[in-house]
Amino acid sequence: MENIFIILLGLSMLYIASTSRLKAHINMLSAQGWLLFFICITGLAHENRLNIQLFENLKENSAHLLGIIFIIIETLGIKSFVIPLFLNKVLNKTQAHRDSDANIPHFYALVISSVILFSGFMVANVQIPAFKLISPLYFGVSISIIITSLWLITIKHTVLSNVISFITMENGIFLLSLAIAKEMPVIVNLGVLLDIFIAVFILGMLVREINTEFNDLGVSQLSDLKDYE
Amino acid sequence: MISLILLFPLVACLILFLIKNRALNNIMIILYAIIHLICSVCLCFDYNPSDINQNFFATDNLNKIFLIVLSIVFFAVSFYNAAYIKYDKSLTRKLRHYSYAVLLFVLSMTGAILSTNLGINWVFIEATTLASAYLIYFHKTKHSIEAAWKYVFICSIGIALAFVGIILLGAAEGDLNSLFYNDLYSNAKSFEPFWLKLSFIFILFGIGTKMGLAPVHFWLPDAHAQSPSPISALLSATLLNSAFLMIVNVFKIMKLAGCDFYAKLILFVMGFISLFIAAVFVYHIKNYKRMLAYSSVENMGILAIGLALGGVGMAASLIHLIGHSFIKAAFFMTSGNILKIYKTKKIKSVTGILSCDNKTGWLWILSFLGIAAFPPSVLFISEFLIVKTMFKQEHYIMGALFLLLLTIVLYGLGKAVINMSANNGAQEKVKLSQLMYIPQIVLLAVSFILGIYFPFYGYIMSTAQGF
Repeated sequence: MENIFIILLGLSMLYIASTSRLKAHINMLSAQGWLLFFICITGLAHENRLNIQLFENLKENSAHLLGIIFIIIETLGIKSFVIPLFLNKVLNKTQAHRDSDANIPHFYALVISSVILFSGFMVANVQIPAFKLISPLYFGVSISIIITSLWLITIKHTVLSNVISFITMENGIFLLSLAIAKEMPVIVNLGVLLDIFIAVFILGMLVREINTEFNDLGVSQLSDLKDYE
Repeated sequence: MISLILLFPLVACLILFLIKNRALNNIMIILYAIIHLICSVCLCFDYNPSDINQNFFATDNLNKIFLIVLSIVFFAVSFYNAAYIKYDKSLTRKLRHYSYAVLLFVLSMTGAILSTNLGINWVFIEATTLASAYLIYFHKTKHSIEAAWKYVFICSIGIALAFVGIILLGAAEGDLNSLFYNDLYSNAKSFEPFWLKLSFIFILFGIGTKMGLAPVHFWLPDAHAQSPSPISALLSATLLNSAFLMIVNVFKIMKLAGCDFYAKLILFVMGFISLFIAAVFVYHIKNYKRMLAYSSVENMGILAIGLALGGVGMAASLIHLIGHSFIKAAFFMTSGNILKIYKTKKIKSVTGILSCDNKTGWLWILSFLGIAAFPPSVLFISEFLIVKTMFKQEHYIMGALFLLLLTIVLYGLGKAVINMSANNGAQEKVKLSQLMYIPQIVLLAVSFILGIYFPFYGYIMSTAQGF
C-alpha cells in the first residue's frame, strides 16, 4: 500500500516542476506532508509495528510510541500545516504569485524531472548486495526527489521558489530516512524537525526583507556582491 | 564544567530579556568569555567534577584543542567587541538582539565541538547557521541581506546533504543503531564500504560547505565581508574550525574502516581547489575583508590537505588551525579598525594606515606576516611540516604545486597590505580605544611566541597518531 503513496510523492515533484504558480507549489507541499504521513503509517502497519497491543504495554513501548507521535507532528503538523500556512502568509505579504521567468520552459522541466524520477525507479531495481540494507523504492524515489529539488533551485528565479524547493528536498531526505530499515535516534529526529522549522522560518523572514528592500523577489537582485568591484 | 559552559548563555539571554540595561549586554558577553575560558582550561586539565552531560558532551584529546582555541579567540573578541560597539551606531540600536545572537552563536559552536554523537554534532552545526544568520544580516543593508540569504540558503542545503550522509552512515552501520563516535569507531571495521564511502562524500560536501572548502565556499566571502568585524573574526577563526572537527571525526571512521585512501583523495582535491580558488581571486580582489575571507578559504584548504596526509600532516594541520585562528581573528579585528577610520572596505580607497594610525598599521602588517607564515609565525612550522610530509611521502608534484599556490596567495595579499599601509594617506590622525588594539596584540604575540617555542608539540603529535 505504501508504494502507491511513494509513487504519488514522486509524481508530485513533476507537478511542482511543471507549474509556475507559487500557490500551487505551496498546496503541493501540504499534499506531500499528507503523503509522507500515509507512507509512515502504512509502512508501520505493514511491518506490524503499529497495532493495538502498543497501547496495552505503554511503559515498554514508550520509545516506539514517542517515535510515532513525532512522525505525526512532523508530517501532519509541521509539513502539511504550519509550513504551508507560514509560506501562504509570506506569499500574501509579498504579492508574488508566479515564478514565470524560469530558465527552462515548463515542458522541458517536466521532461527532465520525469527522466530523473524514471532514473530513481531504475535505481530501485538495481540488485547489488549493498542494497539489502535499505528499501529500494524508498531509496530510488527519495534520491530522485532530492536531485529534482536541487535542480529546481538552480532554474527557478524567485527566492520563494527556492525556499519551496528546499522544503521538497527536506521531504526527500525524510523519505530517505524511512528507507533505512531501522529507526534513527529520536533526539536526532527532534533536532532535524527543529532545524527545518527554524530554517524555513528564517528563510521566510529573509524573503519578506528582500521584498521590502528590493521590491522584487527575483534571484537576479541578489547578485550585487562581487569579487572584482 | 560542561553544563556551565552550555547553560550560561541561555541564562544570560534570559537575564538580558528580563533586565533591559544597555551596559549589561557587554558585561554578559565578557562574563561568558571569561567563564568559557576558565571552564575550557579546567576541561583541558581533565578537571570536570560531577557533570551531568557526560553522555552527549565530553572532551577528548582532539576536541580539547578546538575548545581552547574557541575560548581564547572568543575571549579576545569579547573585549574588542565592547570597544567596537561604541563606534557602530547600528550596533548600539539593537544591542540586545546582537548580544543574544553572539551568546547563542558561541553556545552552538561549543556544543558542536563537545558533542560525542554525530547526530547532535550535526544539530549544533545547523544551530550555528541559525544563530549567526542574524549577525551577518545585522546592518540590514541590501548587501547584508544578500550575504545573509546566501549564507543561510547555501549552508542549509549543505547541512541537509550532510544529514543524507548521516542517514547513509546508518545504512552502512548494519545492525548497530548508534551515532556515538565511540561506537562508530569501535565498529567501523564491520561497516558496509559502499554506503560508508557514499556517506563520506555527502558529509564532506555538506559540512565542507560550512567549513568554506572550495568548490562549495560561495557564502564565505560575502558573509565575512558584510558582518560586523568582531563577528567576521568569530566566523573565520572559530566557526570554520567547528565544521572541520566534524569532518575530522568522520574521516577517522573512514580510516578505521580501511576506506581512507578514497577519503584522502577527495580531501586532497578539495584542498587544492581551495588553494587554487584563493590564489586566483585574492590577486584581483578590491575589498580587503573579502581578501581576508579568501585567505580563510586558502587556510581551510591547507587544513584539508594536512588531514589527507595523515600522521605528521595531521599534526601540522592542528598546529595550523591554532595559528590561523589567532592570526586571522587579529587580522579581521584590525580590518574593523581600518573600517572605522576610513569608512570604506575598498582597498584602493585605503592608503597610509601607518601615518594615520600607527598601531593599526603595524597590526595590519604583523597580521599579514603571521598569515603569510613568515618565521617566527607558528604557521611557518605547520606549513613547513606539511611540505616536508609531502616530500617524505614522495608527492613531489603536489608539494611543488602547494608552494606555488601559497606564493601566489602571499603575493596577492602582500601587494594589497603594503599598498594600504605604506603610502601616504590624506586621512587625519585618528585615535581609537585601547581595547581595539590590545586583543590583536595579545593574539599575535601568542602566535609568534608559539612559533619560537611550541610546548604542546608532543601532545599534538600523540593526538594525530590515529590519523
